[in-house]
Amino acid sequence: MPSDPVMGPVTRPNMVSVGTIVWLSSELMFFAGLFAIFFTLRAMRPDLWAERVPMLDVPYAAINTLILVISSVWCQLGVMKAEALQPSRTGSLLQVGKWGMREWYVLTYIFGAVFVSGQVAEYAKLVSEGITMSADAWSSVFYLTTGLHGIHVTAGLIAFLLIIGRTFTTRHYSHAQATGAVVTSYYWHFVDVVWIALFASIYLLGA
Amino acid sequence: MKPEIQMFNIIAGFFLVVGVIYGVVTDWTEWVGVIALILCAGLGAMIGFYLWMVARKLPLRPEDDLDGEIEQQAGYYGAFTPYSWWPLWLGIASALIFLGTAVAWWIIAFGALFGVFAVVGWVYESFHGEHAR
Repeated sequence: MPSDPVMGPVTRPNMVSVGTIVWLSSELMFFAGLFAIFFTLRAMRPDLWAERVPMLDVPYAAINTLILVISSVWCQLGVMKAEALQPSRTGSLLQVGKWGMREWYVLTYIFGAVFVSGQVAEYAKLVSEGITMSADAWSSVFYLTTGLHGIHVTAGLIAFLLIIGRTFTTRHYSHAQATGAVVTSYYWHFVDVVWIALFASIYLLGA
Repeated sequence: MKPEIQMFNIIAGFFLVVGVIYGVVTDWTEWVGVIALILCAGLGAMIGFYLWMVARKLPLRPEDDLDGEIEQQAGYYGAFTPYSWWPLWLGIASALIFLGTAVAWWIIAFGALFGVFAVVGWVYESFHGEHAR
């Protein structure tokens, strides 16, 4: 978001937002490393992939993916409220149209938490079938890619808590507050897009 | 902001072309290079696209104007802390967590607890006390 035009003669890109995007582009390279591991092993061991990929519960993961994508939508609605400098709801909890940034971010948090919990349940099921992290090359890369992504989602959830908590600290919802909310949404959308790519590679691409 | 946008778009275009050439030369059997190069293009495209989006909403900056003056750049740049100890505490917490993975797992518990303290302290630094905004 642009910086506050009333606070100076020059409007320029918000430094925090640009910095966040530059950092996220380096995060992209982090995930590039994971994708490189995944596709190299997949090319080396097609037999292993043919054996393991059918063991995955694709509809389950697809629903989980959908939950994460929807959480991004709620997050964006929260961003619109943050940009309008409206931290909390002006009506009752049932009047969704009058929600502020806080309510939307709490909803985003709940959806994100459901996604991570769903992934934990999936891990538990796979481990109970004997597919542990050290079982074979496929399982290693599966837990490495989805796990490091899961850690990113969890970090995003913590960021949401901190940003929601911040709204209680000041009487006036400032631009600095709104900037924090907006850049957290950038991170969330980025992690969401990375998951879509991971989901397509791991679950849909097959052997 | 045209020069910035163009610079990142050139990075994107260059790595896309090189990535495809790499794929063709290696007969699409070596995936590390293909993915790294094409996602390098993504790295440039991401920043280029973002700057383009931002530039559409903003008027020309003084540095974009050939007749611009230095003094026109005065004004609000953002919210900055004059100094901060929190990054140091967060660094120590991260070091403890890494030490834990290398030496003994129980150290991670202390690193994580200290990390919570450091992150909360850093995030709320400008949002409590007499300088709260």
